[in-house]
Amino acid sequence: MPKEGILKKREVDKMTNLENYVQAFCETLEVSEEQLTGLKYQDVPLWDSVGHMNLIARLEEVFDIMMDTDDIIDFSSFEKGKEILGNNYDVVF
Amino acid sequence: MDFEKNNRMYSLLGQRGTFGVVLNEMAKENDSIVGISADLTKTSGLDRFATNFPQRFYNVGIAEQNAVAFAAGLADQGRNPFVCTFSNFATLRSNEFIRHFMAYMGCGVKVVGLGSGFAMGLFGNTHYAIEDISVIRSMPNITILSPCDCMEVAKCVEFCSQYDGPVYLRLSGKNNNPVVNKRDYSLRIGKGIVCSEGDDIILYATGSMVSVALNVAKLLENRGIHAKVINIHTIKPIDKQLIMDNKDYPIIVTMEEHSVLGGLGTAISETLAQCSYHGRVLCMGVEGNYKNPGTYEYMMEQNGLTEDKIFERIIEELDA
Repeated sequence: MPKEGILKKREVDKMTNLENYVQAFCETLEVSEEQLTGLKYQDVPLWDSVGHMNLIARLEEVFDIMMDTDDIIDFSSFEKGKEILGNNYDVVF
Repeated sequence: MDFEKNNRMYSLLGQRGTFGVVLNEMAKENDSIVGISADLTKTSGLDRFATNFPQRFYNVGIAEQNAVAFAAGLADQGRNPFVCTFSNFATLRSNEFIRHFMAYMGCGVKVVGLGSGFAMGLFGNTHYAIEDISVIRSMPNITILSPCDCMEVAKCVEFCSQYDGPVYLRLSGKNNNPVVNKRDYSLRIGKGIVCSEGDDIILYATGSMVSVALNVAKLLENRGIHAKVINIHTIKPIDKQLIMDNKDYPIIVTMEEHSVLGGLGTAISETLAQCSYHGRVLCMGVEGNYKNPGTYEYMMEQNGLTEDKIFERIIEELDA
């Protein structure tokens, strides 16, 4: 369970969490915001195995988390990633 | 390249993925770099390299000997070829070609051994590389690099991209490779790195075993035993001066994901013998016959290479 202080901070940040999430995708995968809905792994050239780890590293830095290997593998789309971060890392969108 | 900024991504990718990413970046500025795979393009982390530099990438198929001979020709013509395949195939199947072209003729081929030690896990004993250092170390002229983490892989690839001599680059560990170096640093080939100080015992480690050694040092510290940990990223030429400067420790421990015959432990023991060392050397590595295969973690446990097992053996040695 997350510490209370961390949870509160993440709730306070929730207005920006989505922006940060979107920005991480756009910058690491070089896609526009319009492309994000429904975007899946390997849909664009930069979301290959290397790009995937680049994206994960960026999200870990942005949300100050360390993701489990199973979650990294399950992170298969823009929407799935939000679900994983929300359910397993208490990132409030 | 900003190695420190990319450190977490490198760690997630593991050593072979890092190799591919960094080689791709180096190739953008160095058009002599050529990538050669023996049927392992994606597994070598070379998919981006192959896409970005189709004129400089060759998949020779399952023909490791040909890969080395082909690379030797390219090196002879001024190219800087990187031959990538699993370490066991790279060093054992291609052995005579490495001897002829790299050791004897001095062709500047870089052989990149992927999945060294037990990293191939369930592929089994046919795919483990636990004799590779030994067979390459006995040949003259070949530099052997064994990076401890992914940032060190990046630095080794950077070195190889600028070096015109023959190199065997041994990549070990799995994805989510432990980070030993959090900050950028200067890598000097042939010079070991002191990772932590201690007066009671000294632990020399290479490759994946450096992070294990640091954890063993913490366990020893809890018992009041202060361990010095040294990262030997260059196995050949071995840092003789560093070893001789640290010959006053009563117990010297070496750790490698490799046979105890012919690898790091042997190289250090040879050096210690030359300077009349009278203490005890405990070589932690793979001993005896091939064991039943299994996952990476299982094999490390079976071969006594986990931090707990090594800690126990050191305590036994100290109590003896």
